[in-house]
Amino acid sequence: MVTIRWKTGLVLFWALSAVVGAPQLVAQQDSIAEATQQRLDDLDQQIKVLSRRWELYQDSVINAAKSRPSVTAGATGFQLKSADGNFVLKLRGYLQADGRVYLSDDAQVLTNDLLLRRVRPILEGTVYKYYDFRIMPDFAGAAPTIFDAYFEARFKPEFAVRAGKYKPALGLERYQSATDVKFIERGLPTNLVPSRDVGLQVAGDLAGGILNYNAALFDGVPDLASGLNDVADGKDLVGRLFVVPFAKKADNPPVDLGFGIAASTGDELGNTTTTALPSYRSPGQATVFRYLTSSTAPVAGTVIADGRRERIIPQAYLNKGPLGLLAEYAISRQEVARDTGVTRTTEKLEHKAWQVEGSLFLTGEKNSFRSVTPKKQFDPFAGGWGAFELVARYGELDFDDDAFPLYASPTASVTEEKAWAVGLNWHLGRNVKLMFNYEQTQFEGGATTGDRPDEKFFATRFQTSF
Amino acid sequence: MAFLIRGFAAAALALGLATAAQAQKPVTLLNVSYDPTRELYQDVNAAFAAKYKAEKGVTVTVRQSHGGSGKQARSVIDGLEADVVTLALAYDIDEIAQKARLFPADWQKRLPDNSAPYTSTIVFLVRKGNPKNIKDWDDIARSGLSVITPNPKTSGGARWNYLAAWGYALKKFGGDQAKAKDFVARIYKNVPVLDSGARGSTTTFVERGIGDVLLAWENEALLAVKELGPDKFQIVVPSVSILAEPPVTVVDKVAKKRGTLEVAQAYLQFLYSDQGQELVAKHYYRPRNKAVATKYAATFPQITLFTIDEVFGGWTKAQATHFADGGVFDQIYENR
Repeated sequence: MVTIRWKTGLVLFWALSAVVGAPQLVAQQDSIAEATQQRLDDLDQQIKVLSRRWELYQDSVINAAKSRPSVTAGATGFQLKSADGNFVLKLRGYLQADGRVYLSDDAQVLTNDLLLRRVRPILEGTVYKYYDFRIMPDFAGAAPTIFDAYFEARFKPEFAVRAGKYKPALGLERYQSATDVKFIERGLPTNLVPSRDVGLQVAGDLAGGILNYNAALFDGVPDLASGLNDVADGKDLVGRLFVVPFAKKADNPPVDLGFGIAASTGDELGNTTTTALPSYRSPGQATVFRYLTSSTAPVAGTVIADGRRERIIPQAYLNKGPLGLLAEYAISRQEVARDTGVTRTTEKLEHKAWQVEGSLFLTGEKNSFRSVTPKKQFDPFAGGWGAFELVARYGELDFDDDAFPLYASPTASVTEEKAWAVGLNWHLGRNVKLMFNYEQTQFEGGATTGDRPDEKFFATRFQTSF
Repeated sequence: MAFLIRGFAAAALALGLATAAQAQKPVTLLNVSYDPTRELYQDVNAAFAAKYKAEKGVTVTVRQSHGGSGKQARSVIDGLEADVVTLALAYDIDEIAQKARLFPADWQKRLPDNSAPYTSTIVFLVRKGNPKNIKDWDDIARSGLSVITPNPKTSGGARWNYLAAWGYALKKFGGDQAKAKDFVARIYKNVPVLDSGARGSTTTFVERGIGDVLLAWENEALLAVKELGPDKFQIVVPSVSILAEPPVTVVDKVAKKRGTLEVAQAYLQFLYSDQGQELVAKHYYRPRNKAVATKYAATFPQITLFTIDEVFGGWTKAQATHFADGGVFDQIYENR
């Protein structure tokens, strides 16, 4: 009985405790729930804040990238470009290391040698949208020389103005970049056009690039020369019209054809110190024609430029698939004078040259006037062999017969040269090329007796460009 | 003589035809504006184009560019060819005049009301029911509150927010600059995210659900309540705020170069017209036109407003003191 009472009391005690303590417990639980909810809300806010900050950070990164200059490096060089594209700086360049061997040159008139033919870094750029510049020195010679240094305002494809030193638009092969020419040395017509000159040019592409025009005023330099300072007041007017009939179908033209005519005219007056007359070379770079000079005081008998100089060069190229052709004809006329102190004679001399050059990509690449990218880079580990190109040409250079003997010595200068050449170009990639040429040139005159011996010229080139 | 008369008549006809042809030529304008004016100018552009076409026979297309007012001014200085600029504050347009010299320095005198065809002010947007019981600027500075406002370095609206708070603090503390600085610093301690523009801050508060209060253009706050419903947000009007005068001007050199000067001038004049002022009010900007203001009086609560000239001595001084690199805002924000 006592036991039952004790148990009942215990139950009553617990029941009473539960009734009295329940509100406190509920309040405690509410407080915990509220704190938990607050904590959850705080964490929710923190996550949202972090998420939004990340979103804004990403936006800022994207916006910063839009306003940040871009730096690129690739097959066409290294480039720094402002975000809006209005300012560009490009670093490009090329190097050509040649080897020359003259066969059947027992008298060793010409030296077999290894040489740096061209070492040319190129700095190009745009200084605000329309204005370009290019600076190209050459470090291959005895002293560094500026080859290109010009500024160009390029407002529209139809109209660009260029001032400085650059190639006059005359010879087609001369106009072709030194990295893209098919042979190690350019052909005979290049003898009759200048290399570089200082002047002001207006040029553009009309009718969507079908008609290209150049009109320029240059200091005027002799054939083959690269000028910097003029020796007389006379200036050369240079013009070229060039038609690319399928320019509008540049992506897939039926043929890649271009043809045109270039001409120059101007007065040139030399003196016995600076004759303003050229000498001419063989394909092997031997001098084959030079005007008479005299070292006898008062230098009587030296031939000098004495009046009008004119050049006319019709030209064309044609590329169809892997096959390419280039042809040009050049006429260079120059009024010359020779004063012996006793008599003064003048003559207008006319030299003529032409060439036809063909090339064929054995590996099927599409031929071009410009650089060609191999279908497969040379990579001995991946199995690519690059591109192989066979080349051949024939050309003649005929010096005016009236030059002899008054203005040029028939025993020292040839009256004509005829050259044929074959070669193989191995394009390891877009930036590396190996070239192997053999060229044989037959001369008329230019020797004490009979004709100067044929020049048999074997050359190799290692070229890298970017 | 007859030959001369015929020639003159032919020339006059040719001139007339040429003029007519010129008049028919479509015109495109670029309006470079600040963040929250997108909707306003969409309507203004359409109304102006219709009016101009009807009156002059010219088709006008107005393109819009929006962003933080300071950033937009920088873009114009850097060469963005704006025919007109409609920015958040006069200082940003002054910067264009001084640095790019695209229009005269006294540009603000060229149109009525300091070239500000509408005004606005700064209010608080809070979540429905105002759970944090925010009533005035003192509450914004309270510890533990989360305040959303954009970056004054890039946003015109943010500069108005900042100066409104500063002006309130000066009044509260009897002109004590140090206490005002401390007050504003406490507000910025509560800012978890600094967007670059007012529209971005609205996104942060409204769409991302961050913060207890958004310091907002009045028009932006009214638009948010209208678009998202009064069941989600409500506006709290502080006891004191600042009179914001977003100005406009033609960018003379660009408009002359593009041959759009006449149309650009007409475009800005249109903002002052009855039709333009109606659109201004419809988009919750306070109109200058008294009749239109009266018509829309219920939309805009009465607030005690101070001007930037009264409290800060003008925008140039305020900019140099508070928002220049190393200025008061930088000191406050770096020491958070």
